[in-house]
Amino acid sequence: MMAGDDASGVRLQFRLGGSEKVILVSEARLEQLRRIARAVGEEPFARRTRSELLFFVLTVPLAAVGTAFILLTMFAGFALAVTFVGLIIVAASLRAARGIGGFHRALARSLLDEHIAEPQPFVARPGFFGWLQTALRDPIGWRSVAYSLLKIPLAVFGVWFAFSVWVDAFFCLIYPIWGAGAVRPPEFGFVDNVFSPGYLSAGSSGFFHGLFIFVTGVILVFLAPWTMRVVVYVDRRLMRVLLGPDAMTARVRTLEHARAQTLDTSAATLRRIERDLHDGTQAQLVAVAMRLGQVKEKLAESADGLDLDQVRQLVDDAHKGAKEAIVELRDLARGIHPPALDIGLEGALSTLAARSTVPADLTVALSDRPTPAIEAIAYFCVAELMANVVQHAHASRASISCAQQGQWLRLVVRDDGQGGAQPALVGSSSSGLSGLTDRVHAVDGRLHITSPPGGPTVVTVDLPLHA
Amino acid sequence: MSDSIRVAIAEDSGVLRDGLVQLLADRGFEITASVSEAEGLRASIERDCPDVAVIDIRMPPTFTDEGLRAAIDLRRRHPGLGILLFSQYVETRYAADLLADDAAGIGYLLKDRVADTSDFVEALVRVASGGTALDPEVVTQLLGASRRTDSISRLSSREREVLSLMAEGRSNAAIATALVISEGAVEKHVANIFTKLDLPVSQTDHRRVLAVLRFLDS
Repeated sequence: MMAGDDASGVRLQFRLGGSEKVILVSEARLEQLRRIARAVGEEPFARRTRSELLFFVLTVPLAAVGTAFILLTMFAGFALAVTFVGLIIVAASLRAARGIGGFHRALARSLLDEHIAEPQPFVARPGFFGWLQTALRDPIGWRSVAYSLLKIPLAVFGVWFAFSVWVDAFFCLIYPIWGAGAVRPPEFGFVDNVFSPGYLSAGSSGFFHGLFIFVTGVILVFLAPWTMRVVVYVDRRLMRVLLGPDAMTARVRTLEHARAQTLDTSAATLRRIERDLHDGTQAQLVAVAMRLGQVKEKLAESADGLDLDQVRQLVDDAHKGAKEAIVELRDLARGIHPPALDIGLEGALSTLAARSTVPADLTVALSDRPTPAIEAIAYFCVAELMANVVQHAHASRASISCAQQGQWLRLVVRDDGQGGAQPALVGSSSSGLSGLTDRVHAVDGRLHITSPPGGPTVVTVDLPLHA
Repeated sequence: MSDSIRVAIAEDSGVLRDGLVQLLADRGFEITASVSEAEGLRASIERDCPDVAVIDIRMPPTFTDEGLRAAIDLRRRHPGLGILLFSQYVETRYAADLLADDAAGIGYLLKDRVADTSDFVEALVRVASGGTALDPEVVTQLLGASRRTDSISRLSSREREVLSLMAEGRSNAAIATALVISEGAVEKHVANIFTKLDLPVSQTDHRRVLAVLRFLDS
């Protein structure tokens, strides 16, 4: 067998049953294999592996105690349900389950970097009966109970499938060293069940037996992180579903976030408009008034001392300033509400396309007219995206399409530029792509960017027709 | 009338800065510096020691109250320097901050006032020579917000006009010109005001301003 390096990878050549075989392994494939080998090799020593093992070891006894407590109180509570005390016990048990859930969340956050959102806090209605009713109907409490109950089979499975592999690996590795094989690997769990009985005692005794057990231990060390990962993965999913906020709360959170963002954006917009007015138009008009004031006083002076050239110059400057102020005001007003939108989105977009310095094709296919808010968002999206195309993309052509798909409006802005656009990199938080994302999310829309290095950049915005 | 009063200008709007430079140069002021932010102003004042600085309150980098802070700081370092704050809006708080200890050589005007060039130039001359120039808007706000309304209501309408002009920092002669009455009449009105409002009689104009402002603000 021969192996040779050439430019595109490794060439394996060997003889098999009289015929010559050649296998070419490409450089990309080799790189992939190297990456996998590195991942497998480093995994037992990764921080993540340690944290997952620690999480499992900490939560299994916790789950056992928690579940025992919950089961006990629940049984007692339901047995006594005919009396009033039973209800109180169940309610208290539900409150405790909430606490256990919170502890799991905290552990998951600190050990697994799994940030599960806090569910809505427990807010009891006033009075003891209010508390009792709220506690008994608390969906978070019941879901925490469900988690604790499901955690038990998961823990049992975890001990068999993952924890046992760590234990076996540990004992296999110390087998040849510690007391020359006096301590045998425990015969339980996944490894023991998969291999034939007595696998670990194969080869009876001696140096080679010790070596055999040690090698098995090494293999198990590299296997163990992955079995544990499977178990912890299932736990992560369970926690996300049962210990996080429910769908309604999550929805409310999203809406609250979107509302806050919208308020911030509009406050930022107002501040920008104030700044533009203050620094631009207002200063311009003050300067005009100042020049006219000078002219007025010069004209009031005696006619013979009058420097006509100077007066002419002042009037010229004032005239120029007034015209500039008008242009600034017009641009500002257009930024607040584009007048073109009054005749509809199509007209407004065609104005945008025509004004762009990068030639742009526009196709619009709308059968219903969107609500004014959506039209405005669509317009500002296209305006901002086209501004990006002109400023950053180095594109020679762009296309804008605006089509209706059922109850949705789909905008696609495409350019043949250099690509590489990212929401975080273009513009500030109140403008640019991330500002657009906020605006679009505020009405439950979606913004999607594909912009590979070298281009082309395609930005797709989906907006509900009515919001 | 105002030969070689030396002025430094700090104003971030280019149009307005150029306009001010042109106007003041035309009126015979010597412009020692015209800058667009507070740091440049500090440096130029250290270097040129002008008589008066015209300072925009809102300047880069934060566009909030850089000018005001620079003014308070400059006043501590250069007690003789007259300062005319120049703003798009009038904030009574700012006036109070600036006049905290002394009203001599302090001015606070709306930018609009430059439209009446002579009044503006007059105010600047007054500030440069240690007087006071407060925007009528500031005085109106103070009068409106004052809790001493019953004391003020004891004044006649002419006396109230005189009080406003006095609070702006005008001298008796200037008040007489503005109201088209004799200087003697103004003196009589002023004496009446001081008696009715129970204010300590003071000789210099800027002490008088401070007394009136303290009265209105208390």
